[in-house]
Amino acid sequence: MSASAATPAGAPQPRRARRGRRKLATQTGWNLVGIAVIVVMVFPVYWMISTAFKSDGEITSGSWFPLQPTLQHFRSAMAGADHPYFWNSVANSLIVVCVTVALSMVIAFFAAVALAKFRFTGRKVFIVLMIGIQMLPQAGLIIPLYLVLRQYGQTGTLTGVIITYMTFVLPFSVWTLRGFIIGIPRDLEEAAMVDGSSRVGAFVRILLPLVAPGLVATSVFAFITSWNEFIFANVLLNDNSKQTVTVWLSYFTGTARHTDWGALMAASTLTAIPVVIFFVLVQRKIAFGLTAGAVKG
Amino acid sequence: MTSFPADSQIAAESGHRPARRRLTWARVGRASVPYLLILPVLGATGAVLGYPVGYLVNLSFQRYGLPELIQHAGHYIGLHNYWLVLHDSVFWDTLRRTVIFTAANVSLTIGLGTMIALLLVRVSRFVRLPLTAGLVLVWSMPAVVAVQVFYWMTNFENGVFNSILGLGQHDWYATTFSQLGLVTALIVWGALPFVVITLYAGLAQVPHELVEAAEIDGAGPLRVFRDVTFPVLKPIFLILTSLSIIWDFGVFTQPYLLIGREHQYASNYLMGVYVYIKAYSGNDYGQGAAISILMLLIVAILSIFYVRKMVKIGDVQ
Amino acid sequence: MKRRKLIAVGFVALAALVFAIAAGGVSGATKAKSITVWLQTDAQATNWTPIVAAANAQFQKDHAGVGVNVQYQSWGTHLQKFDATLAGGNSPDVIEMGNTEMTKYMAAGAFQDLTADKGSFANSSTWLAGLAASGRYNGKLYGVPYYAGSRVVTYRTDLFKKAGLKVPTSLSQFTTEGQTLLQKFGKKGFSPVYIAGTDWYFAMSFVFDYGGNIATRVSGKWKGALDTKKSIAGLTAFKNFFNAVSRASKTTDEAHPNPYDVYAAGDAASIVGPAWYTCCLGKVYTPVTAQFTMPSHTKGQVMPGFLGGSDLAVPVGADKALGEDWIRDYTSNASEKALEAIGNIPNTTSLFDNSKINERAAARSWFVPTAKNWVNVENENILRNMLAELLTGKLTVKQAAQAASDNIASILNAP
Repeated sequence: MSASAATPAGAPQPRRARRGRRKLATQTGWNLVGIAVIVVMVFPVYWMISTAFKSDGEITSGSWFPLQPTLQHFRSAMAGADHPYFWNSVANSLIVVCVTVALSMVIAFFAAVALAKFRFTGRKVFIVLMIGIQMLPQAGLIIPLYLVLRQYGQTGTLTGVIITYMTFVLPFSVWTLRGFIIGIPRDLEEAAMVDGSSRVGAFVRILLPLVAPGLVATSVFAFITSWNEFIFANVLLNDNSKQTVTVWLSYFTGTARHTDWGALMAASTLTAIPVVIFFVLVQRKIAFGLTAGAVKG
Repeated sequence: MTSFPADSQIAAESGHRPARRRLTWARVGRASVPYLLILPVLGATGAVLGYPVGYLVNLSFQRYGLPELIQHAGHYIGLHNYWLVLHDSVFWDTLRRTVIFTAANVSLTIGLGTMIALLLVRVSRFVRLPLTAGLVLVWSMPAVVAVQVFYWMTNFENGVFNSILGLGQHDWYATTFSQLGLVTALIVWGALPFVVITLYAGLAQVPHELVEAAEIDGAGPLRVFRDVTFPVLKPIFLILTSLSIIWDFGVFTQPYLLIGREHQYASNYLMGVYVYIKAYSGNDYGQGAAISILMLLIVAILSIFYVRKMVKIGDVQ
Repeated sequence: MKRRKLIAVGFVALAALVFAIAAGGVSGATKAKSITVWLQTDAQATNWTPIVAAANAQFQKDHAGVGVNVQYQSWGTHLQKFDATLAGGNSPDVIEMGNTEMTKYMAAGAFQDLTADKGSFANSSTWLAGLAASGRYNGKLYGVPYYAGSRVVTYRTDLFKKAGLKVPTSLSQFTTEGQTLLQKFGKKGFSPVYIAGTDWYFAMSFVFDYGGNIATRVSGKWKGALDTKKSIAGLTAFKNFFNAVSRASKTTDEAHPNPYDVYAAGDAASIVGPAWYTCCLGKVYTPVTAQFTMPSHTKGQVMPGFLGGSDLAVPVGADKALGEDWIRDYTSNASEKALEAIGNIPNTTSLFDNSKINERAAARSWFVPTAKNWVNVENENILRNMLAELLTGKLTVKQAAQAASDNIASILNAP
């Protein structure tokens, strides 16, 4: 997270000793507040992960630590006969998320270029439309969306889910990417043109690297949005082997019988891993990415 | 990325304006180019959402229940659905509750998010890294699971909340206020990572020397924030606020699951839950559609201030 | 280099999408004949799936080349998904419905009429009356009874023994015993009888036990009956019983927390609910657990319990012949026997065994009003709201019952 550049206000400066001590005290104070925030924010995550390791007795008694840690829940989540298709659902989610992210980024980029670099009639309308799409109440769209995908023969297929997710991801992506493209210094563009490169060449060599952080940043939103989406995936996918991870997770609580909380928490811990990996890979860029996109507009 | 976006951007824009006309982007670009560029996005969203939105509007003028759904044919009844909804006190109560709820959630999300982002700048590296990592973990937690964990923490029998606060057996789900308070905690907690990380990134671009200059002038931290930091962050705040309004006004999963399907009463509905129960549990798709359209209008009104500013920013070039 | 990778990923993804669309199209064109069956995820349990598999095998023996695609669903969302398929005209060929969910869909015309073929289903002359009633509407058969579940009291034999208590034979005896247990073992949060405050299935048992009702049909119109004298007596008895023996939350429901989890944590001497609660009582208390039927306020009688259960129906637009055939195989005598062996109540009294407590409990049962809008009363949680209000004292029993009764009448009579 660009740590070196980001300590403008609080960094201790070597002045007089008394002042230094006061600064140190202030710094310690901020750190303590920071630790308190960590504890509060992370506690539910800790509870999820620790529950995954607790024995059934410890889960029901609500104990704080897994004193007799067990991997049993992970085993039953991944290979339990009561909840088959874990790996299928992970694979399905990965396909859905990767295709959604990749396709959205490509076509959102085109639209963002149009918004950032062209004045054209209907531009305002397009912007309003993009924000308006975010406002559509999803609950109202469930059946109409099912019907339209049925007309295309895309209910029960991952393709149907992918194009649905794209429509939810695109507005934000277009808007954010637009900010990055505007941020490209014009002299760089000009330089590329003067070089006599073709426009595609100029784009690939000079513009894309500058927009890359933006693509990364928006892809994180696309990734998390589509990885965690449940309502539409649930309605569109009926075949148990074709469902996504969130739908698969919902079966733990969908029974009229005993809910296996330990396995649910173990499964949730496991399904958080791809998101965390993706985040770790791109977290350096997201700090830059979001800023540039957002500040510029 | 330029280092001083706010000022230099404007300077660059005004300074280069005449030059821009000579630029190939504008000259080579025929009038059709921008339309071709937005075509994929318009095509995808139009193909998927165009028909459903039209269908929804159409549905709102029909009596459309389960029998009509099965026969694929409704009865046109004009504005009757709207009339029914607007004459239902549940709608108005729910609307009032949801507007207050949205205001509380948005201001808490943005307020706490700003504070944590400012904190993130001040803490030492050994605190900053785990804090960022923690935020990422929170973000990656599926809503279904987060709801369950929050329920455990607040449950009546052995909830951690009660033992930490020493409340014995306090029933957190006894009143609407308390129920919606818990939902607020859950939503704000879940939304903070997005807000904090975005704002923190923005803070890193606040001109260092401007902050110092203001401090030397004797400005307190509040004034530094108001005069130096906030103007730079303003576009971010606009995006975050309008998105938060849109999301929180229509929120469904968290209140439906945390309060529980078994405890959704007319006295604690939020709009997202209300429309869901009307349309799906009650199988009145016509009224559900009418409520959806009304919600769209209301959220547009609620966020018009922010959206107009965004359109303005979007139009400046 | 990274952006190259990004582009590459994009192209691979595009290719994958094209392929997926193509594959979808191809498989759609050469689709072999098969039927789709929606069962609830309960049947995904390892001891249940063999019964489904056996029915499938039998079905495929009779219909060579016809596949059976069993798709498991969750209780919380299956109706919404069913609605979507009804709108899209691609409903499953067989669907499992909760017995309280049936009436609305039967009235709306969602299912095919099976009346003419009733005799072809196994044991149809001895179907469990309470369950079979949920599959009939206007004298026609739409749902074949699948299995039922009754409610009993699950209790700690060790605590009862230590306190010198016997299985109660009347409500008042149970109340006294509960208070004895409370005095002897009443640490903080301990319930002699753990009852979730808004467990309306249990509360309505009191109403029916005192001769009351939820709603009655009077010359074609529904009339709320919770405000009658008998119903109010039942509700008052429920409130008194709750206050005497339960330390549970007055506003929670019977799934938050699961009563068996409270029991497993040692916080309850007994719990009320489905007989299958024995599944999950924990290692410590399972050996000292037994069950009895909830005693009535009339000594020696059983309090009527809610009869839960499921029916199997053939939605409109489905292949009726094949759907019916699969139902026949799945509700055959052998299949029902197997269902009984894993703790369910079979759909026929001919298999009943009086030594089984859940089947004894099913003998005296009540059911919700068979009104097409009944599900809306459940979905709007009218009864739960009433119970929370009367238990917390926000309203008196009479006020709460009156409000709920009016509310129920207006919902049931809505067009």
